[in-house]
Amino acid sequence: MGQGTPGGLNRQPPGDRKNDDKKEKKFEPAAPPARVGRKQRKQKGPEAAARLPTVTPLTKCKLRLLKLDRIKDYLLMEEEFVSNQERLKPQEEKTEEDRSKVDDLRGSPMSVGNLEELIDENHAIVSSSVGPEYYVGILSFVDKDQLEPGCAILMHNKVLSVVGLLQDEVDPMVSVMKVEKAPLESYADIGGLDPQIQEIKEAVELPLTHPELYEDIGIKPPKGVILYGEPGTGKTLLAKAVANSTSATFLRVVGSELIQKYLGDGPKLVRELFRVADELSPSIVFIDEIDAVGTKRYDAHSGGEREIQRTMLELLNQLDGFDSRGDVKVILATNKIESLDPALLRPGRIDRKIEFPLPDIKTRRRIFQIHTSRMTLADDVNLEEFVMTKDEFSGADIKAICTEAGLLALRERRMKVTHADFKKAKDKVMFKKKEGVPEGLYM
Amino acid sequence: MAQGGDQTSGSKDAILKKKKDEKGVKKEDEDLSEEDIALKQQLELYVERVQDSDPGLQKVALESMRQEIRNATSSMTSVPKPLKFLRPHYGTLKAFYESMADSELKKLLADILSVLALTMSAEGERESLKYRLLGSEGDIGSWGHEYVRNLAGEIAQEYAKRQSEEAPIDDLMELVHQIVAFHMQHNAEPEAVDLLMEVEDLDLLVEHGDKNNFKRTCLYLTSSAKYLPGPDDILVLDIAYMIYMKFEEFTRALQIALYLDNMQYVKQIFTTCNDLLQKKQFCYMLARQGITFELDEEMSADDEEREGLQEIINNTKLNEGYLTLARDIEVMEPKSPEDIYKAHLLDGRASAGASVDSARQNLAATFVNAFVNAAFGQDKLMTVTSEASSGSSTNWLYKNKDHGKTSAAASLGMILLWDVDSGLAQIDKYFHSTDTPVIAGALLGVGIVNCGVKNDCDPALALLADYVDREDSSIRIGAIMGLALAYAGSQNEQIRSKLIPVLGDAKATLDVIAFAAISLGIVFVGSCNEDIAQAIIFALMDRSEAELSDPLSRLLPLGLGLLYLGKQESVEATAEVSKTFNEKIRKHCDMTLLSCAYAGTGNVLKVQHFLGQCAQHLEKGETFQGPAVLGIAMVAMAEELGLEMAIRSLEHLLQYGEQNIRKAVPLALGLLCISNPKVNVMDTLSRLSHDSDSEVAMAAIISLGLIGAGTNNARIAGMLRNLSSYYYKEASLLFCVRIAQGLVHLGKGLLTLSPYHSERFLLSPTALAGLVTLLHACLDMKAMILGKYHYILYFLVLAMQPRMLLTVDENLKPLPVPVRVGQAVDVVGQAGRPKTITGFQTHTTPVLLSAGDRAELATEKYIPLSPILEGFVILKENPDYRED
Repeated sequence: MGQGTPGGLNRQPPGDRKNDDKKEKKFEPAAPPARVGRKQRKQKGPEAAARLPTVTPLTKCKLRLLKLDRIKDYLLMEEEFVSNQERLKPQEEKTEEDRSKVDDLRGSPMSVGNLEELIDENHAIVSSSVGPEYYVGILSFVDKDQLEPGCAILMHNKVLSVVGLLQDEVDPMVSVMKVEKAPLESYADIGGLDPQIQEIKEAVELPLTHPELYEDIGIKPPKGVILYGEPGTGKTLLAKAVANSTSATFLRVVGSELIQKYLGDGPKLVRELFRVADELSPSIVFIDEIDAVGTKRYDAHSGGEREIQRTMLELLNQLDGFDSRGDVKVILATNKIESLDPALLRPGRIDRKIEFPLPDIKTRRRIFQIHTSRMTLADDVNLEEFVMTKDEFSGADIKAICTEAGLLALRERRMKVTHADFKKAKDKVMFKKKEGVPEGLYM
Repeated sequence: MAQGGDQTSGSKDAILKKKKDEKGVKKEDEDLSEEDIALKQQLELYVERVQDSDPGLQKVALESMRQEIRNATSSMTSVPKPLKFLRPHYGTLKAFYESMADSELKKLLADILSVLALTMSAEGERESLKYRLLGSEGDIGSWGHEYVRNLAGEIAQEYAKRQSEEAPIDDLMELVHQIVAFHMQHNAEPEAVDLLMEVEDLDLLVEHGDKNNFKRTCLYLTSSAKYLPGPDDILVLDIAYMIYMKFEEFTRALQIALYLDNMQYVKQIFTTCNDLLQKKQFCYMLARQGITFELDEEMSADDEEREGLQEIINNTKLNEGYLTLARDIEVMEPKSPEDIYKAHLLDGRASAGASVDSARQNLAATFVNAFVNAAFGQDKLMTVTSEASSGSSTNWLYKNKDHGKTSAAASLGMILLWDVDSGLAQIDKYFHSTDTPVIAGALLGVGIVNCGVKNDCDPALALLADYVDREDSSIRIGAIMGLALAYAGSQNEQIRSKLIPVLGDAKATLDVIAFAAISLGIVFVGSCNEDIAQAIIFALMDRSEAELSDPLSRLLPLGLGLLYLGKQESVEATAEVSKTFNEKIRKHCDMTLLSCAYAGTGNVLKVQHFLGQCAQHLEKGETFQGPAVLGIAMVAMAEELGLEMAIRSLEHLLQYGEQNIRKAVPLALGLLCISNPKVNVMDTLSRLSHDSDSEVAMAAIISLGLIGAGTNNARIAGMLRNLSSYYYKEASLLFCVRIAQGLVHLGKGLLTLSPYHSERFLLSPTALAGLVTLLHACLDMKAMILGKYHYILYFLVLAMQPRMLLTVDENLKPLPVPVRVGQAVDVVGQAGRPKTITGFQTHTTPVLLSAGDRAELATEKYIPLSPILEGFVILKENPDYRED
């Protein structure tokens, strides 16, 4: 409709404007096209029409090349045509003029409201954040295809008619989750964990970069992985490394963020999160400390607990629900895998479980090397002693030892860290680890 | 470093190098785990030993190095460790290789170098291939898939290089043999085909195909053909044909033969195949394609058998099958136009306003009635028996005014479509009428009844031939058009000799000549017949300036174009001649010829040409942009991608084009999505149907009917209903809305207008010719459809086909079996046996198939004789079937 009328207007000589307007008036009251798809699901926004057709054999082969070439040819032709037309008959001035007219009609400032219900083609019930609901008109230049109950709209400041709609309705909570700046930790900063790295690459990165490999074999790539293991064994570190190396959108959440004050907000956030992930796909969603929401279901007594469970149910649905998740991969991390709900971990939702064990001797050596590589060590330092010790260290413990040793050296204003520092640091860390916890408190 | 190698293959070199620079070589060793270090040292030792002077030691070292590489099992994400560790020594080994004397060992080393080159060789050096050729030429698969793939890529490059230098390629071909054999055995047919395409030696495929992989290979070949530039596409299809013939997959072979329009191949299939049932299935396929084909003794020795087969080709059973379907779906009950309009669903306004122009309304009702009850043999207006409502049949006829009666009388032919015997008997009564339009309609009706059905006694020709030379022009047109419909695509010589004189007839009016040209075009569609071309060209040259500005004269170039439908370059000579025409028609003719010649080819260059033409802004009076826009649709409708992209391009045309382009765009959209109501196209058309320019709106409304033709699509029906109340005051727009409503309910939803069939692979030329004729007529609605030539709408009958799957047993009696019907899935190039349909439902045949649907048998009890379950399919009992 929008394209039809301006075209018709332009062909009239400018002198006839009055006549023209009258004619337009005459047509105005007639019913505009019936839009049956009022409640239609938005097909990924306005781009739906402009989207390119999908090219079917995903495998790299000549047919695919030919098909993509064909699409390219058509796009080049379109470009040629449009640029030709623009040269012959620039549209910019005209659109500028139209735009300023539309801006006049919209007025300023505009108030933001919510569309409650569409009554007929030209009328709707709207509400602003405060106050009552109004029955108002919809101006003709608003794209009615995109209006749907519940969407955010712009209203005229006086008559409150609908003058536009707000496109970007991403929850600000979700946009915060997007990792804009890649973390500094890369795969090289991980000591050992080779099988874990390989597994996470196969399950998360490879399906996004080389989907055709899976197609070749004829399997569906796994949807997600869960990383579990003792505290401090490098789960989050690995996730950071993934974020560092991938060019896909990386969304990170902590499980506790999903717990919200108001009823229904948690599940909504989960939905938003996955919707955004889908829009920005290919993407990776990383949910740390999933046990905050993913614990086993049991008879909950408080509303809060029930709400948490509902959040998890939404998560279950998003992971393997009715809508297919295309290029969205999920990484979960927890250190209490046994407390998670079995439904969360069933194949089809989270297919791969990757265990992070305490480092063995070789790994320990690597970790020590990584952490000491930037420290100035005295010649007498013999790291092997710590590497070979029988105490159970996690990666985090080793880091703590190194830091502690460095601090000790600092305290004594030395420029080098000595073996003695390390020894002391180790004792201290081990003491904290054993005795520091208040386990004896209840004995 | 340890993790550096784990980067995905693409960028590994760069990353490796970077890491190395950062940390220095010394650090590297420390980073390795113990076994890695051991392996590294081991390999270094081997490298040293290889350079040893003792051949025995060399051999052992080489063997173990080779063992080491082959055993390396590693993730697909990283380079195998031995390869990684051997990288620094690649140069040394290479240097040593050069200094080595020729021996077995040298070959062995060449093998290893070839594998190492996989990761080491600089871009474009093709060292892997070089050493492979120098090597021992052992089993190529033993080094793994990745290696073979890389080698194939290098061969393609090398081949192109040698081709330009005209160097010998024998050694390469030897290797290609090995690789193709390897790929074909390992489910990688696309890769084998790709390689052979690069080295231009597809014949090898015929050798290497086997029972398990030939289907996938051929599927890949046939789907590539649509995107390859000529003449490669023909070559590829030829290969596919040969493979199908080798494995006796005759129906598929026939499909390709029909696609190539190669009657030689068709004959070959008939003579090679000995199974009578199979032959019957071929005949059904030929009948669906709508070509005339005479069996001779070579193809079927037995006279009786041949007669039976010919009967199938002649489509004599089409009506029976269609009625079986209708009875099964229980839609035999005739419908009146009011049942279609469903005015009671509208709010008061429309019904309150009395119709403005009752003659126009009645004419519309005539068409709606004809379209809706097409081929059912009964309706509520024309065929009602006299006792029921005391001769209302004649009454209805006379409710139409003069030329309207022509269409009304002809509509009887549409209702009795394909039923030659009773059709002719019922139309006969109009021949005795004194009213010339009624006789004209009767003549046209005879043509319609015989459309797509051939009869040995040629009743249509016998009845119509005499009327061609009558005085009255409306009778002449009726007869000429009737002949066109009855003998579409038959290339009947008698018709040629009958109609060519009409073109040169000085007494004939312009409309007679125009229709004669169209008719000749349709009867000789795609034949490139020079006599006819000449005759039409002369007729065009004889027209006066005034006549050329008549819209009717634009049908003459169309008739010429239809002669070359889909024949690509063959049109060039004629196109050259057309440059000498009067400038009024010159460009129009040029566009029409080009668009017809390249219809259904998907030729991107032509689309570009047409778009270029549309980019011009014209003075008033030029008309050639209409055919150019239609041309885009005609060329691009060949394959799905082009179709989608063309829809996008048309959107741009709408935005920038002027009125003469804008009114053609909806028609082009209608052709692209004919009988396939895509939601986005529907929305665009719905928007355009309210356009301020009435011609654009009319075209959009007709196109809404075309995209929904025969689908009963409720959404389109609703839109049209609303339009009918919106335009209740405007007679011509309302007429279009009514026609569109009739089209949506075409054959009560059992028919389709799509010229494509057999899984959208084959294009029926006559069907396309009928559609194109109508669309060209719609370019000037006022003069044609809304004027007195509304019976042009009956050209649609050429494209009308039941969209059914009817399974028959060995005696060709309908056989109900359960089938699954669902959305077709593109399975080209997929591994294993992927499912071919999705979201299916199980029905019992006969069933309806919508656009993009595919059916498969849901029972093992029968084996279909054709892999394409569309139209008539013969089933034979599965001998291995056991009841549970």
